[in-house]
Amino acid sequence: MSNRRTRPPMRKPVATTPAWVMPAAVVGVLALLVATFLVIRWYTTPLPPPAPSTDTTQQIITKITTLPPSEFDAIGQGTASNLLKPVSGAPLTGSTGKPEVFYLGGEFCPFCAAQRWSLIIGLSRFGTFSGLQPTTSASDIEFPNTPTFTFRSAQFTSQYIDFRPVESSDRDRNPLQTPTAAEQKVFDQYDSSRTIPFVDVGNRYAFTGAMYSPSVLAGMTWQEVAAALQDPSSAPAKAIIGSANLITAAVCKMTGDQPSSVCSDATIQGLEKNLK
Amino acid sequence: MPRAQLPAILVSLAGIAVSIYLTVLHYAGFQPACPVSGALDCQAVLSSQYAVIAGSSIPTSAAGIVWFAVSAVLWSRPFGRAQLGWSAIGLVAVIYLLFIEIVRLGAICLWCTAAHVLVVALALIAAAMWNRVRA
Repeated sequence: MSNRRTRPPMRKPVATTPAWVMPAAVVGVLALLVATFLVIRWYTTPLPPPAPSTDTTQQIITKITTLPPSEFDAIGQGTASNLLKPVSGAPLTGSTGKPEVFYLGGEFCPFCAAQRWSLIIGLSRFGTFSGLQPTTSASDIEFPNTPTFTFRSAQFTSQYIDFRPVESSDRDRNPLQTPTAAEQKVFDQYDSSRTIPFVDVGNRYAFTGAMYSPSVLAGMTWQEVAAALQDPSSAPAKAIIGSANLITAAVCKMTGDQPSSVCSDATIQGLEKNLK
Repeated sequence: MPRAQLPAILVSLAGIAVSIYLTVLHYAGFQPACPVSGALDCQAVLSSQYAVIAGSSIPTSAAGIVWFAVSAVLWSRPFGRAQLGWSAIGLVAVIYLLFIEIVRLGAICLWCTAAHVLVVALALIAAAMWNRVRA
């Protein structure tokens, strides 16, 4: 005789939730979070600073292109990274037959925005810019709204060098200007990563990227950057003028140290020695 | 081996491969520059301060290698809370990294997104398996 009580058979639990609900919930929550992040990004992206008037722009450009030699000497390389690499190609010459500096960038790009300040200051020691217009890098990218001047309508006159700038995209990444086939070939040859800004100094030196972080200019207006450049101890001055000095040294190598008023300067000579 | 486990192991192995590639990219070094076009920018993401585990020089993608490797091991065992919990940890990490990419950097790295999709795929498999086990 068995006293064992027979247990009632276990009833299979009834599935209350269809199998697709959990995965769908995961996807739904993720989609919601991504949408929330996009909204947060939109809300927290600062508006670009209001562009200065034409007169103010001219004053700013005059201010940054007439810095005293003592300012360049006080800073030297500053905090700029020397990205210049020696290249060996047929010498690059411009439309007037002078050695050429070629720039390829884009208005959306914050690294281009940062590097343009140094290019303007460095090249202004060899000639004169006109047609520079204030703009900022894109709002929806790292280092948003970095203040700068676009080269899209810029003219450069010099008795020593030519400057050929190409802004490939506007601030909204729409196509803007196209390099010639020869310029594209130089870019393809020396910039395997296909990144901008790309600068070729007469096919003697080339570099890709910015020599300093655009974070140095975060939240500043053009006027504030120009004012900071008057103070050699300021972070923008150390970065921008340090990079301008490196560009000056490379251009001096290209021009055979012409003009001597710029290239014979001890600071530039010192930087030239460090260029391979 | 249940039907869903083999795909989960394959997804984990794919995740290891993607994470190794991202780690190689990280150590190859980047110029502070923009791609010629667009915001789908691994450069901005992998050269940012968030590309390394806070307070160290270990790339975040190295953590990805570890996570996917552990995931591959877990999915080779019978399904249980371990896989579900591990997937949840991965999902939380993906949400944090998406926050960094979208809100902090404003740049999306396609290879990082590939790794994120693989983590989400594993989480979905875990969720579906959990549902089945409960039923």
